[in-house]
Parts: sequence; C-alpha cells; structure tokens
Amino acid sequence: MKSKKQRFLIAATAALTLVFGCVESVSAMHIMEGYLPLNYCVIWGVLCIPFLIIGLNSIKKTIEQNRKALLILVMIGAYAFVLSALKIPSVTGSSSHPTGTGLGAILFGPTAMCVIGVIILLFQAILLAHGGLTTLGANTFSMAIAGPFVAYGIYILCKKLNLSKSAGVFLAAGLSDLFTYSVTAFQLALAHPSEVGGFQASFVEFLGIFAVTQVPLAIIEGLLAVVVMKGLESYARPELTELRYLEGGN
Amino acid sequence: MFIIDKLAYSSKLRYKNPAVKAAFAVGSLLICVGARSFVISFIILMIMGGLTVLSGRISVLRYIGLLMIPFSFLALSTLAIVFNLSEQPLNLFNIPIGSVYLAVSQNSLREGVLLVVVALASVSCLYFLTLSTTMIDLLALLQRLRCPKLMVELMMLIYRYIFVLLDMASAISTSQKCRLGNKDFMTELRSVGQLLAVLLIRSLKKSSLLYDAMESRCYDGDIRVLNEYRPAEMRDAAGVAGYLAILMVLAVVL
Repeated sequence: MKSKKQRFLIAATAALTLVFGCVESVSAMHIMEGYLPLNYCVIWGVLCIPFLIIGLNSIKKTIEQNRKALLILVMIGAYAFVLSALKIPSVTGSSSHPTGTGLGAILFGPTAMCVIGVIILLFQAILLAHGGLTTLGANTFSMAIAGPFVAYGIYILCKKLNLSKSAGVFLAAGLSDLFTYSVTAFQLALAHPSEVGGFQASFVEFLGIFAVTQVPLAIIEGLLAVVVMKGLESYARPELTELRYLEGGN
Repeated sequence: MFIIDKLAYSSKLRYKNPAVKAAFAVGSLLICVGARSFVISFIILMIMGGLTVLSGRISVLRYIGLLMIPFSFLALSTLAIVFNLSEQPLNLFNIPIGSVYLAVSQNSLREGVLLVVVALASVSCLYFLTLSTTMIDLLALLQRLRCPKLMVELMMLIYRYIFVLLDMASAISTSQKCRLGNKDFMTELRSVGQLLAVLLIRSLKKSSLLYDAMESRCYDGDIRVLNEYRPAEMRDAAGVAGYLAILMVLAVVL
C-alpha cells in the first residue's frame, strides 16, 4: 500500500518538475498578492519608508541643481521597467525576466534606485500582475533596497580590489540577484515557518526551491550586465558621464 | 503588450469615481488578507471575478488565464510550505530520502491550500482595480491621497515613456531576429545585451530631447496638467461602504 502511494508521489513530483521546466519563470521573485500575512506586509512597508524618504530627498536636491536630472530619472525608470518586461534568453529554453536592479544600481547609484524601484514594482503589480499591493513593501525591500545596495557595494569593492571592470559588473549583477532571492526566501520563511524545524527549515526549503530558477538567472543576468556595460562604454561615453553626475548628487 | 492596461480602458466601470473603486478593491483585499479564511476568500473571489468579467468585456477563460500569471511563484512557494523536511514521519504521507523524510502533515497541507485560495482571491481584488481603472486615474488618486508630488510626477512621466521604449525595443528585436540574431544561445545573449545597451543610449537621447522641448515651453520644475475629476455617486459610495461593512462583520464572525 505504502509503495503504491510512494510511486504515485514520485510520479506527481516528476510531473510537477516537468511543469516547472516549461512554465516561464516569470516573476518567480515577486512575492504575489495576498501571500504574506497582514502584519508582515506592514512591517516590511514601514522598513522601506526611511530609504524612500532619503531617496526622494536626494533626488529633490539633484533636481534643484540640474532640472534635466528629473527627465534622466524618468528615462531610467521607464528603461528599468522595460528591462523587467523583456524576455531574456535562458538555458532551459523558456525565457525569463531579469530584475535589472544590479545594473541599475551600478549605473545610477543605489539611493535613486530605491525610488525608481518602488515605482517600477507598483507598475509591475498594476500592469503585469507581478507582485501586488499588499506585498509591495516586502518586494520593495528585497528588490529595490537590498539588491541595489549589495550590487553597488560589490561593484565599489571590486573597484578597490583592482579587479577588471567586467568581473566587477558580473559579480555585482549576479550576486545582487542571488542576494535579492535570498531576502525573498527569508521574507517567505519568516511569514510561513515550517511546521517541523520552524523558520530555519523553511528558509532552507525556500532557498532550495527557488535556487532552481534563480541561480541560472543570476548567471545570465551577470553576463548580460557585462555585455550592456561594454556596449555603453564603446558607444555612449558622454551619456555615462551624464549619469555619473546624477550619482554625484546622491 | 500590456493586456491589463488595454482592458482597463475598455471597462464599463472606467468612468466611475476611482476613489470608490479603489476603496472597494483595497478594502476587500485587506479584509481578505487579514481574515485568512476559506469562506471569506471564496466570497471575495466570486464577487470580484463576477464583477470583473461582467463589466470588463472579458471572457471567463481569459480571466482565468490572467489569474494564472503568478502561477509559477504560487506553485513553487506553496510546495515549500506543504512539504516539510523532518526526521520523524508525519501524519499524511512521507517520502524517505536517506535518513530524513520529505513529509506532509494534514496541517501543512491545509495551510498550503488556504494560502493558494487567499492569494487567488487577493489577486482578483487587484484585478478588479487594475482592469477597471486607468493608470492616469490611479495617479490622480495617489496625488489626492497626498503622495509626494515628485513621486507622482515621476510615475506619470515614466508611464508615458514605457510605451515609447517598448516600441523601440520591439523594433530592434525584430530586426535582430531578421538577421538571425537568435540562432543560438550565445548569439542571443549578445544580441539582447546589445539591444539593452542601445535602448539605454536612445532613451537618454530622448530624455535630452524631451528636456529641450519642455524648457522651450517654460518648464520650471513643475508639471501642471488638468485632471478630469468625476465626483462619486452617492449610490456607489453607499453600496461599497455597506458591502465592506458586511464583509467585515462576516470576517469577524467566521
């Protein structure tokens, strides 16, 4: 009797794996609407507020000095959204979506990325149904705050260590992707601790399950960021200095 | 490209007051997430789904298709919640892996199913709002709710430029495909990278054109546009308030 049940389970697992192999790994990192209990929604939301205020103030200051900065920010925002809506090639044959936060943070600095990030996440929830309104706080924390700051930190660190620029960009984009997904797993585990083993066990489970889609994605995103930076450096030096100006304002 | 945005413009509820619609959707959403019960979620899913399908000129099948957008997230994370790694076997069923069990208990299964139902009902609330209210209306509402002006302005401009950039990206991508830019994985990676780089360059150029255009029209750091304001009808507002009150009572009682 038991072995029959086991056989059924193994077949079910195989079927599920097959399904996941085919389903696009769209929005696998956005915590969906209604998935977090209300108290966690509030806590993560409140945690984001200081970052947003700092970001808004720094943007305000930059705009006072240079009004063009507002329009550059607008384009960056639209660009980052389009980046997240485009399909990128992925090893499994299906397509996946980059988060773009790593690249954004390297180009525009992490504080500006916070404000842009929250706008993009809101648009993603409204226009694409990735993420949601109640989980906006949690998603902002993992993708618009944790990811960009780690990416920027790694990028600066690699610069200090005199690593090649490509290596720095690759590591920053890839590792920030991985960090973002760990934070998401952490948030999920905190809200839904496992029955056996509690928070720790469920953290490990979430990490393990999302690793399937996120580890290849992180590598691809790292490679992609390098190609983009190379392209920008060869074609768009003046524009890059314009962006540096923005960064200096922060 | 964005089916939700298109549907919002053709909804029958489009010209209703956005504040009432938002109160209806967000109120139900909060009650749904707060209550975490099968009955409440089911009621909300039916009401929201029914209203959206009836008013949105959208077929039931298509609506279900929309509900399935977050499917991969839902399936993956619910799997993590339903299954436990445990050293002792649990009460529903167990798969031994080495010295531990991949085990499911009745409790964790119930928890997982409940989560799926609550999440789907919440998504239906979100869809009611986004499938009946245009982004412009939502932004005007945010402004009236005292969201920082800079934020609303950024959002408005970003929203407008998303479509410009998407057009650009799809033109580039089409021409890359015409030239076999996606013939194998490495080539495809290279072409997507080039697309993204060119897209950024072009969008920065666009932003400088936009700046010139706005400057020549006396832009002083403040964009003033007229918003259409549609006052709430008493009937709608009273209906929404009554509905939310009933839902609240149900959530407390059940």
